[in-house]
Amino acid sequence: MLAELINPYYLQVASFILINIILGVSIYITLSTGQLSLANAGFMGIGAYTSALLTLNFDLPIIVGILSGTLLAGLFGILIGIPTLRLQGVYLAIVTLGFGEVIRVIFVNWESMTKGAVGLSGIPHMGRELLNTLKEFGFDPKILGLQNNQFVFLAIFLILLGVTISIITFFRRQNRSRVGRAFAAIKLDEKAAESMGINITYYKVLAFAQGALVAGFAGALFAHVLAYISPADFAYHRAVEILIFAVFGGSEVIWGPVFGALFLTVMPEVLRFISEYRYMIYALIIIIMMAVRPQGLIDVNILNWLKLKASKRRQKHGTSNQKSM
Amino acid sequence: MVLQIKKACKNFGGLSALSDVSFSINRGEIFGLIGPNGAGKTTMFNLITSMFTPTSGEIIFNEDNINGLKPHLITKKGICRTFQNIRLFPQMTAEENVMVGEHCRSKSGVFSSVFRTKSQRKEEERIRSKANELLEFVGLGGFADIVSDSLAYGQQRRLEIARALASSPQLLLLDEPAAGMNETETSELFHLIKKIQEQGVTVLLIEHDMPLVMKLCDRIAVLNFGKKIAEGTPAEIQNNSDVIEAYLGSEEEDLYA
Repeated sequence: MLAELINPYYLQVASFILINIILGVSIYITLSTGQLSLANAGFMGIGAYTSALLTLNFDLPIIVGILSGTLLAGLFGILIGIPTLRLQGVYLAIVTLGFGEVIRVIFVNWESMTKGAVGLSGIPHMGRELLNTLKEFGFDPKILGLQNNQFVFLAIFLILLGVTISIITFFRRQNRSRVGRAFAAIKLDEKAAESMGINITYYKVLAFAQGALVAGFAGALFAHVLAYISPADFAYHRAVEILIFAVFGGSEVIWGPVFGALFLTVMPEVLRFISEYRYMIYALIIIIMMAVRPQGLIDVNILNWLKLKASKRRQKHGTSNQKSM
Repeated sequence: MVLQIKKACKNFGGLSALSDVSFSINRGEIFGLIGPNGAGKTTMFNLITSMFTPTSGEIIFNEDNINGLKPHLITKKGICRTFQNIRLFPQMTAEENVMVGEHCRSKSGVFSSVFRTKSQRKEEERIRSKANELLEFVGLGGFADIVSDSLAYGQQRRLEIARALASSPQLLLLDEPAAGMNETETSELFHLIKKIQEQGVTVLLIEHDMPLVMKLCDRIAVLNFGKKIAEGTPAEIQNNSDVIEAYLGSEEEDLYA
């Protein structure tokens, strides 16, 4: 019964949704201090290549590769974050976009290491490695009534789901704390924030580094889910795609980019015939959103309205004192 | 002495906004800084809070030279300000605005916030209750959950004062707190500033509302075209011929006008 329901294709799509959600969160974090960074595709590439190369060349466990990739991306985040502190708005966007391109060009040209435009293949696959390890302990997916393939994709999906939920929880908690208030204050009025005793240098670099860490993490996961990466995966298109998650879904609350990533990953899969035109549609989305709803679909008001509706429904069913969300 | 300004100069290109201004403020007093528009009062505030660094001269706070210190460190040392054109965090509630003000008196970082450690929860509790006390103190008791953008003008002014007080300053700089207020609001403000003084906070006040300044201040310094032209008690200032000239123009000028 369970086995018939589990379709590897759906699970794969779901896994990409989750990776995209993590990428959406990564741009949201830097945006929550008012910094628009388009370097996240580059950070993603750093995470992906680092992890792939470490596991391919040195036979390191995947988890070590992923952690190294994430940390290296975070380090680059700090390195880019400090000199760009003085830049704002569109200037910061241009510089970070340039940085992303530089990273891509390095991947293309450092052929001895990265195999150039051909990309890296045969990267250890997260699900298969897990299955092999478990098999050594005498585990067989048939115990669960699953085929190997189903188990592999199900495992990836569940790991990613856990990871995504943890990341969202992490940043929701951070948002509702002293750190989150400092981020919001900097976004709303940098000078006033500084006068209230907030070290804006520290918090802006922190946000930048956190965004880079999360993007690098998503990249490393991406490498071990797809088992194949090439510089084209981390090009300008990816930067725009991540931006669209935040523009479409909204960047005021964390659910904005989460929803944006979910919707915009599902859409081309469901409506196969439009997937060729996706970049045209993205352009249209940017124009329409900027004109009609610059804060994105999900904002604080929408969230409050949804909470109100949910609590009303609960009252109807007589369990009113449950805490919402 | 809380604050000593020694021969402070500030030039913007060829324009001299302040030249050789010196004065000092005693602990616990309300000190007024007045002068016609463009006299350099707000520039002086920006020097004290290190938004600008002085071209020359020294600013001494509690025996420490604070020239060139980063603005957030100035706040940590105990100087906090309000702004001439209100600069609240518009989409935050009144409570959150004041909680931001307590930033430099708290220390939870990323990890204690995410894992909600015991000390973090305690600190958060302390910050929130202090914020509510301060809202009560400035007369915004029932407004904690109101987004600051939708508060009335006079309330926004008082919220800004609460936010500045949240950083537990020894010296509070108020930049035209009565601007745009009606008589009732101004008299409420008078009592609020008096109450702040009673709490042991020294106040440096820029204000154009002369009756308020004269009633409120212990001592006053007058700036005109970036120079200090007088300093003294309200009574002395009111009878100073240079001050009267600066505000009303001299009789000779009137003849040629």
